[in-house]
Amino acid sequence: MADQNTSNTQPPEHKPESKMKHIVSFGAMILLTVAAFVLVLRDVVPVVWVLPLMLGFAVIQVLLQLFTFMHLDQKGSFYYILFIAFGVMVAVISVTGLVFMP
Amino acid sequence: MAHDSVEIKPGVHLETATFEGKNKVMGFWMFLGAETVLFACLFGTYLALRNQTVNGPSGADLFDPVLVAVATAILLFSSLTSVFAMMAMNKLDKKGMLFWLGVTVLLGLSFLVLEIYEFIHYIHEGHTFMSSAFGSSFYALVGTHGAHVTFGIIWISTIMYQAWKWGINTETAPKLFVSSLYWHFIDVVWVFIFTLVYLLGMVG
Amino acid sequence: MGTLLIMIVFGLFFAAIFTGGYNNTLIQRARKTTAWDWLTSVDHKKIGVMYFMAGIFYFVVGGLEALFMRYQLLVPGNDAFVGRTFNELLTMHGTTMIFFAAMPLIFGLINVVMPLQIGARDVAFPFLNSLGFWLFFFGALLTNMGWIFGGAPDAGWTSYVQLALNEYSPGPGVDYYVLGLQIAGAGTTMSGINFLVTILNMRTKGMSLLRMPMFTWTSLITSVLIIFAMPPLTIALLLLMMDRLFGANFFDHVMGGSAVLWEHLFWIFGHPEVYIVVLPAFGIMSDIFSTFSKKKLFGYNSMVFATSLIGFLGFMVWVHHMFTVGLGPVSNSIFAIATMLIAIPTGIKVFNWLFTMWGGELTFPVAMKWAIGFIPTFVIGGMTGIMLAAPPADFQYQDSYFVVAHFHYVLIGGTVFALLAGAYYWWPKMFGKMLSERLGNWHFWLFFIGFHLTFFPQHFLGLFGMPRRVFTYEPNVGLEYINQVSTFGAILMGIGTIIFAWNMIQSFRSKKIAAADPWDGRSLEWATQTPVPFYNFAQLPEVRGVDAFWLEKQAGNKEMTPAEPLGKIHMPSGSHIPFLMSIALFVGGWGLIARSWQIGVMGLLAFGVTMFMRSFDRDHGFYVKPKELLDKEAKS
Repeated sequence: MADQNTSNTQPPEHKPESKMKHIVSFGAMILLTVAAFVLVLRDVVPVVWVLPLMLGFAVIQVLLQLFTFMHLDQKGSFYYILFIAFGVMVAVISVTGLVFMP
Repeated sequence: MAHDSVEIKPGVHLETATFEGKNKVMGFWMFLGAETVLFACLFGTYLALRNQTVNGPSGADLFDPVLVAVATAILLFSSLTSVFAMMAMNKLDKKGMLFWLGVTVLLGLSFLVLEIYEFIHYIHEGHTFMSSAFGSSFYALVGTHGAHVTFGIIWISTIMYQAWKWGINTETAPKLFVSSLYWHFIDVVWVFIFTLVYLLGMVG
Repeated sequence: MGTLLIMIVFGLFFAAIFTGGYNNTLIQRARKTTAWDWLTSVDHKKIGVMYFMAGIFYFVVGGLEALFMRYQLLVPGNDAFVGRTFNELLTMHGTTMIFFAAMPLIFGLINVVMPLQIGARDVAFPFLNSLGFWLFFFGALLTNMGWIFGGAPDAGWTSYVQLALNEYSPGPGVDYYVLGLQIAGAGTTMSGINFLVTILNMRTKGMSLLRMPMFTWTSLITSVLIIFAMPPLTIALLLLMMDRLFGANFFDHVMGGSAVLWEHLFWIFGHPEVYIVVLPAFGIMSDIFSTFSKKKLFGYNSMVFATSLIGFLGFMVWVHHMFTVGLGPVSNSIFAIATMLIAIPTGIKVFNWLFTMWGGELTFPVAMKWAIGFIPTFVIGGMTGIMLAAPPADFQYQDSYFVVAHFHYVLIGGTVFALLAGAYYWWPKMFGKMLSERLGNWHFWLFFIGFHLTFFPQHFLGLFGMPRRVFTYEPNVGLEYINQVSTFGAILMGIGTIIFAWNMIQSFRSKKIAAADPWDGRSLEWATQTPVPFYNFAQLPEVRGVDAFWLEKQAGNKEMTPAEPLGKIHMPSGSHIPFLMSIALFVGGWGLIARSWQIGVMGLLAFGVTMFMRSFDRDHGFYVKPKELLDKEAKS
């Protein structure tokens, strides 16, 4: 239904994305992954700290993935972010329920 | 429809240039929201049942850090190549895009081969879908992820063929963009699988 | 042998499609028939009508099942429907009414009305819309096939495990439930995504989010709930299928599984599901109250806020269905408080409706009668809800007829009343004819009185100790009289429904075309012609505020101000692929039920093939030219 109102205007051009941003973000993801493996395979921190740290690394990595690789940093992503955030909330509530109320 | 009215030139967001494209991208994000909850339920099931090994091998006995590290690296790298493909698409560089998509698909295939090898190995160790609640929930979670990878490979290959035949335009660009979102999402899920299934399993 | 036969038939079927080895003239002729037109339609109004009629059909089926149960319970020790048959009736009554009556009726109204209300020519994904309908249709059909082949599901609509596992439910009954709902559920998720994107992306000029009619707002929140609530059901059904068909151990405690897992997954879906069916009902009521009070909806913004809040809290209360599982006082308390919190936004809504009527210029057509009947009925359901939300009290009420009375007050008093109100209200837009007010009054009073006679006494049945889901009771314990009143009420509801059916038939047979704006309406759907042309608006309207059409009428305009010059309109072409896709899943699902994984895999493969067909289908629709538009406008 592209004839609806604004659809026929030319989409705005954007600056070409820099490859660097993605490569830096990729490097960070690799580092986080390695860090998580090290946490588990070597005794760097007390055992109680392993899970929270590991989860923290995973969350950062996923945020990187969402905001660089999946372009959520671009304009017009408000609904997507809102929606994914709500999805994550439901997901966290569900997992918490399933795990802690067996 | 404005398939004909949008000027195709480098730097234009072809994937959201038409109304259909905008709808498709937004609809796909909603779908990813649903997928988030879907996988969350599988994670919840696994985490609730992961210690119910019924005298079978436990995660600590089974999981091999090297294998998981390699699989993770493959998937993470394929996520990067998928981004490169999208950047090539935005420059209307068809050849470059097809190359990077090809690399993505190959990496996906090797991940799948690795996973199948891993499963066969586990089955020999007595860790099967039917051996215990741990087994069932493990294969349900990792298997569903594997099924998503398989679907992604078929999907991306199909769209590669279409892009090769029809070119990069307002019809193929949304499909390409959306399939790359899907591929990143698979990687996002894997981040949690290697953390909460494999690494947590090794901690015990 | 049977497997082989089905495989051959199925193979030939697909060979014919791909090779074009079918009789071309026959296909050409078939394409001209009305049936083909409906089967392949992607027009949101036609899909809406199909949803609605399918919903009415299953509403009657579910109603018959209820009447059979009430007949069995008429006297103590009755032997009309005992044991397994009674279990099948009660399971299928619940499943049918929730999944195959309430949801399609709601989707029907959303499909027809919502795009008109936001001033769109179609939904965001017409193809997906059609696919959603056909998946629902074949999923519902598959679930009901159990009545004929091998026994219907009989483990309750909640299908709690242990009971629903092979050991205690041998035979294919529960498999029909699992696979039928899985297929229908996939369709539901697609529709949810479709509605949400439509509302967010396809609004006409000036229709900002806070100018949308309440029905559209509630559709929006319901769509969000659908998208997030269906996945837990998908997983629950997947796990149950794995346990039943492939020997997994998710729920088998001997192998380390957990029965509570099913309850969690089911109710993480199940509670939002209640709001999925009741929020659009609130929307319908809001529109009706405002129209027939000739007043702007009181507290529009607070209504939007309350709807969103209900949607938000809806995901945090599921454990109130599980108070007696023994999750501990902490869990129970948290979820009890969260549950009671929902009474606040719901109360806001009720007061807003009352204040909308206050000082209004009230008229009472049948639609308004349903709306007014809804308020006290729903409030009673809400109050028993608060009673059930207190865990210590819930320990007494649980699994008794008190619970049955409570959720029928909410689901009939809330959802069904609203759907019937919506049917009377939007009938002229859906079908281009009016429903008879005289028959409608009979329908309303019989159904309304019958409803209260059926379910009000059931509160006391529960308090006197009659357990739910049990097919008989002892004589001389004080339960006969109440049960008989209840059955009598159910018969009145049945007669009311027959009158409604007669009313529908009369309206279809009538030649009189309804006026475009019979109720002096306020929102954009009344600004379209009746019958609504397939492109809805020749020129998209420009919206200047809440109650867009009313504002224009107040300003002395007969029509909306167009937001665009008359130009060519792009419309999607119909497609037969959604129908094929759904058949493929239907056959595959049935294959799995018959424990033939070959047919199951074939069905899935065929589904994959149809996905390729869709992907390579380069039909981009067609244009309606301005001249044709003018001709059509002139004709009407």
